[in-house]
Amino acid sequence: MKTPPEDHDLIRWLDGEMNPAERTRFAARMDADPALKAEAEAMQRISTDLRAHLPVEMPLPYADFFNSQIQVRIAQEEVLSHEPGHRTWLDWLRMPTLVAATAAVAIAGMIIWQQGAQGGSVVLSTYAPDPAVQARSFHSEEAGATVLMLDGLEDMPADKKFVTFRIKHTENDHEAATTTLYGLHDEPLLVVAKDARNQPRLLAATPRG
Amino acid sequence: MPASTAPDPGEVPDTDLVKRCQAGDTRAFDVLVNRYRNRVYAMTYHMIQNETEAWDLAQEAFIKAWRAMPGFKLDSSFYTWLYRIAHNVTYDWLRKKKIQGDGEFDDSRTEHKVAAGAEAVPHGFLAPDTALKNAELGKRINDAISKLSPEHRQVILLREIEGLQYEEIAATVPCSLGTVMSRLFYARKKLQELLKDTYENAA
Repeated sequence: MKTPPEDHDLIRWLDGEMNPAERTRFAARMDADPALKAEAEAMQRISTDLRAHLPVEMPLPYADFFNSQIQVRIAQEEVLSHEPGHRTWLDWLRMPTLVAATAAVAIAGMIIWQQGAQGGSVVLSTYAPDPAVQARSFHSEEAGATVLMLDGLEDMPADKKFVTFRIKHTENDHEAATTTLYGLHDEPLLVVAKDARNQPRLLAATPRG
Repeated sequence: MPASTAPDPGEVPDTDLVKRCQAGDTRAFDVLVNRYRNRVYAMTYHMIQNETEAWDLAQEAFIKAWRAMPGFKLDSSFYTWLYRIAHNVTYDWLRKKKIQGDGEFDDSRTEHKVAAGAEAVPHGFLAPDTALKNAELGKRINDAISKLSPEHRQVILLREIEGLQYEEIAATVPCSLGTVMSRLFYARKKLQELLKDTYENAA
């Protein structure tokens, strides 16, 4: 709905949006028009009362619960993001800092796998520091092994070492918003968290030999 | 935009906390929630006049802020940024409510429920009858605000409570400056009409 310019003047006067010359002119108009002056004063009173009765801050009921609920929601969303179709916590491991933190040896790539239902290994995630390298994997029944294919990799020196983690199971700590990865003997291997950018953050790692 | 609360000396600045949040530190976010929850709650409460829904919307605003934190470039104060998120969350809720209710608002939302210990009126040593009149006026103002359309309620609260300039209101809503002035005009006219009896009886 459009308002005429004189109504805008009234609003601008009320809100102190006029320059001194405009204010002087508007004051003269009000002097000449008692109805306008009465309306301006009534609106001014309402503005004053609104400010007095609607506080900028109000004590939040159950404030501690409010905060804890937020933390829980954040943790839950991280868990949800692990479900199929979302980024998984294993994707967090696709990060050079993790490699740097966990590898005392040179790493060309890292694979994470766990025991499949039929006893075979299932590769859950791969990480290649060089984005030109595409890592794929499949389980070969014939060979009885999980095969990792690294496309785009330059010739690799024979002494290049790999770091691998065999993950038996994982546990999420919702309160701490962390995931602990356990090895085949239920030994904790890694504790990871995810930052706000969905990037991995390594909190602890068992030294690798 | 709404001024951020000046941190006390020794208090960790918002910018430092934001950077820690961006690195995934949920404890830093908890500090920010502590710092601004009362303000965000007041805003959502004034907009929808329902304690439970306002509480939920305030929480939703903080969750959205956490999700959006990686994209926050600190090109405004944290509170200004948070305020926009909270405002959008609340205004979206109001619009959906309006669509679902065919433009009518639930009367129960006009009931002014204040939490135990809440200080919704200014401090002061008032005579009992004055305090009563003040409380009554506060209730009537809240009732009147709840009867405004979401669009009018939005601009009047942005202007009167948050103290935003016209340009800032236009950017937040978003709409043109002319629309801001028109909405402010009609919102005030409507409030004048709704509060007419209150002021006449008080005279």
